[in-house]
Amino acid sequence: MGTDKSSELLPGTLDLLVLKSLARGRMHGYGIAQHLKTISEDVLQVGESSLYPALQRLLLNGYVEAEWGISENNRRARYYTLTALGRKQLSAERKEFDRMVLAIQKVLA
Amino acid sequence: MKLFRRLRYWLGARQNQADLAEEIEFHRAMGGAMGNTTIAREDSRAVWIWPWLESVMQDVRYALRNLRAHPGFTSVAILALGCAIGLNTSLFTVFNAIAIRPWPIADPGRVVNIFELDDRLRTFGFSLEEFRYLAAHSKTISGVVAIGNGQKVRIDDGKAVASSVSGSFFSVLGIGMQQGRGFRADEDLVDAPQPVVVLSYVFWQTRMGSDPSAIGKQLRIEDTPFTIVGVTGSDFTGNSAQVFDLYIPISARSIIEPHTTWMKDYLHSPNYCCTNIAGRLAPGVSRAQAEAELAVLHQQFRAQNHDESHGVRLTGTAFLNTGKSEKILPVFALMSLAVFLVLLLACANVGNLLLARAAARQHEISVRLSLGANRARIVRQLLTESLVLACTAGVVGVAIAFWLPSLVFRYAVNDNLSFRLVPDSVVLMYALALSAATCIIFGLAPSLHATRPGGIRSRFSLRSVLLTAQVALSVVLLVGAGLMTRGVQRARTQDPGFTISGVSIAQFDLPASSYDAARSRAFFAQLSRDLARQPVGLTRLAPLGNGQNWTSFRLPNETEKQGKTVAVQEINRGYLDVLGIPILEGRMLEDADSNRSVVLINQTLANRFFDGNALGKSVVAGKPYAPHEIVGIVKDAYTTTLDEVSPTIYFPISGDSIPLALFRTTPGTADAIAGVAKQIDARTGTTFTPLTVNLDKYLQASRAGAAIAEGLGGFALALATIGMFGVFAYCVEQRTKEIGIRMALGARPVEVIRLVLGSSSRAVFIGLLLGFAAAAAASQLLRKLLFGLSPFDPVSYTMVVVLLVAAGLGATFLPARRATKIDPMSALRCE
Repeated sequence: MGTDKSSELLPGTLDLLVLKSLARGRMHGYGIAQHLKTISEDVLQVGESSLYPALQRLLLNGYVEAEWGISENNRRARYYTLTALGRKQLSAERKEFDRMVLAIQKVLA
Repeated sequence: MKLFRRLRYWLGARQNQADLAEEIEFHRAMGGAMGNTTIAREDSRAVWIWPWLESVMQDVRYALRNLRAHPGFTSVAILALGCAIGLNTSLFTVFNAIAIRPWPIADPGRVVNIFELDDRLRTFGFSLEEFRYLAAHSKTISGVVAIGNGQKVRIDDGKAVASSVSGSFFSVLGIGMQQGRGFRADEDLVDAPQPVVVLSYVFWQTRMGSDPSAIGKQLRIEDTPFTIVGVTGSDFTGNSAQVFDLYIPISARSIIEPHTTWMKDYLHSPNYCCTNIAGRLAPGVSRAQAEAELAVLHQQFRAQNHDESHGVRLTGTAFLNTGKSEKILPVFALMSLAVFLVLLLACANVGNLLLARAAARQHEISVRLSLGANRARIVRQLLTESLVLACTAGVVGVAIAFWLPSLVFRYAVNDNLSFRLVPDSVVLMYALALSAATCIIFGLAPSLHATRPGGIRSRFSLRSVLLTAQVALSVVLLVGAGLMTRGVQRARTQDPGFTISGVSIAQFDLPASSYDAARSRAFFAQLSRDLARQPVGLTRLAPLGNGQNWTSFRLPNETEKQGKTVAVQEINRGYLDVLGIPILEGRMLEDADSNRSVVLINQTLANRFFDGNALGKSVVAGKPYAPHEIVGIVKDAYTTTLDEVSPTIYFPISGDSIPLALFRTTPGTADAIAGVAKQIDARTGTTFTPLTVNLDKYLQASRAGAAIAEGLGGFALALATIGMFGVFAYCVEQRTKEIGIRMALGARPVEVIRLVLGSSSRAVFIGLLLGFAAAAAASQLLRKLLFGLSPFDPVSYTMVVVLLVAAGLGATFLPARRATKIDPMSALRCE
């Protein structure tokens, strides 16, 4: 599953980042990748080979839903939206992540 | 929920993968190419499969390890379930062969059997004249074929079974040929029949040594040379239960039987019924459309011949559609019921074994539960174990189904039958479904039970329920077996009303083509004269020979509409003498009676239609259909079937054709009869059959049925015994410590045994009661197969009680002995 090292993210954080991106509203896969890139000022560059498995994982767990729509440049694109379950998962993962970062910072301090 | 989403994904797998590909393509088109799209696709797909598959594999591996660790349990469970699934699959294999599989021909789904109906909606065949009418006028049927009955014929070097078929048979049905061709339409013209013959593949192989140049050679059939024009392909096993060696054109029957009196009617008369016909539906025509059209044609034809019609019916070509279903389906239903009970019994048995194992694994299960495994996960794991068991048993079952049906058929049925009793894909699907279903039946309750929060409470006893069920089911099966066995025994030993042992039948075998009525009469007269010194019975139907003739009769003052159907026999005086059937009133037949209009009737007929006062009265019957005087009343004899006597009229035998001769088997008689026959005509062959052989043949199917029932009963008994043993042994095991304490405190062995067996004995007892109640109800279904034995036959029931008590004692002996041999000290110490 997660053999892709290029994202150089902490394990499990990609799902969190995707969920967070979708919290703003519905987006297609490319949009999510662009969003992550822009917000992180080009630090987080997510490739297809990690983004799409992540999206499928979220679909499987019922955190997101997908539907086909028309993109800004008039092409068919698949849009993802957060479900209620996904929202709950987001806040849970968010808390867990904060706790982890805090702990790591304490160790490094 | 997750499982549901996964399932939905897999149901739409193709669409989902297309979506994914398009999505990634979109991503690249937008300029986001970063990395390998194939990996992206595969990893995405793997999300849906891998973890799940892996955990299933894990469960299967765990289950296999567990089963291997308990070889005793595993082998008993697989054997019990395997046999039960095997029995069910075997029965289904037979059902498939006779009720589902169509004829082995090209595109069989478009071929239908066509029947006409009578006023009671029974199906019959058509007259050949009407067959030709339908073939000429139907637009919805692209080709019609007529199929005559098989008949034994003399050929070059012996005998063969020939089927007569219309000239369209091979071409319309699309039967593949190994060599040569099928018939042409112009070879089956009634006015110019051609002596051509098509050989079946098996006949060609076994009787002609697979002769590669068979085509064009001659084969003599009833002394007429026929030209071999074709050999059917090896996959054409025939379109009837009977195995046919040869096919000849229907009209060629007049070549081999030139003197058969009814042949002209058969070939020409619009009223001579009962040739089976079949047709291939024209392209785009539904069965209903064809049926509607044929009904109209049938009505037209009947109207032209001043007769009424009751419609037609089209059916598929599986064997069961050809008018045999009324006889066969009830037998099938009974057997299905029996093997289904066996399956339930095996499930109850294995379920109980699983329960005992679950109890032994209580510790393991509670550890896993308390470590946080959820209940569904553990149930799934236990069910996987059941599924592995069931699938292994399914494999065993299919293996059984490969040889059991043909073995039983060989034992139960005399004739060689053309059914292909080998499981095909339909049967395999059935076995798979059955295995899955059994897994749920025997596995679900124990696994739910074992994982109940709070552990197994010993007060509620699923075990007792299952034990009760096992005993009850085995009682039903054993009672059935007992009744069938006793029924056949009764049929063999009861007085049939005529002498069987010491009587033989002589059958004279002359070439049919060389005997017309006049020569038959001469042969007949000489035979009667030469054999006059000893009683020789002459008749057309061998006793218990599987044949019966019917005739219509009425009283002189009744109209023809009031005619009644009764059995008819042609006999001479010697027939009653040899078979020892006494005359109750009136007189015997005399030789001179063959020219008088007199008949004998049997008791049943006299009582049913004359209130017992029949002597001297007249009946209108026979050929010519005229009044005949009743000169004697004969005691009832079960000469046709052993379960009932039909009202019967006995006519003095006519000399029109060669009869069968019945005689007492005394030294020299057979030779004398054969000698007389040879004297009359040197070509006459004579075969002798003792009546006991007929009796054995007659009872063969019933005896096979009884043997099957005994087999099922024995299997049921074994399962129930294992089941009881398992439960008792488990009880002792579980209460070792308690027993130890009690014995240390001075309990006597009897008390210990009572303690151990108490609760389970109650389950057994309730099972017996329920079983007998169910058996009493179910045995009503067997009534027709019991030859008059009462379904409440006390001997059968007593036998079952004795058997089960013996089995129960056997099953309790070891556990009870163990219980009393428990050493109090070691029992206490082992905790």
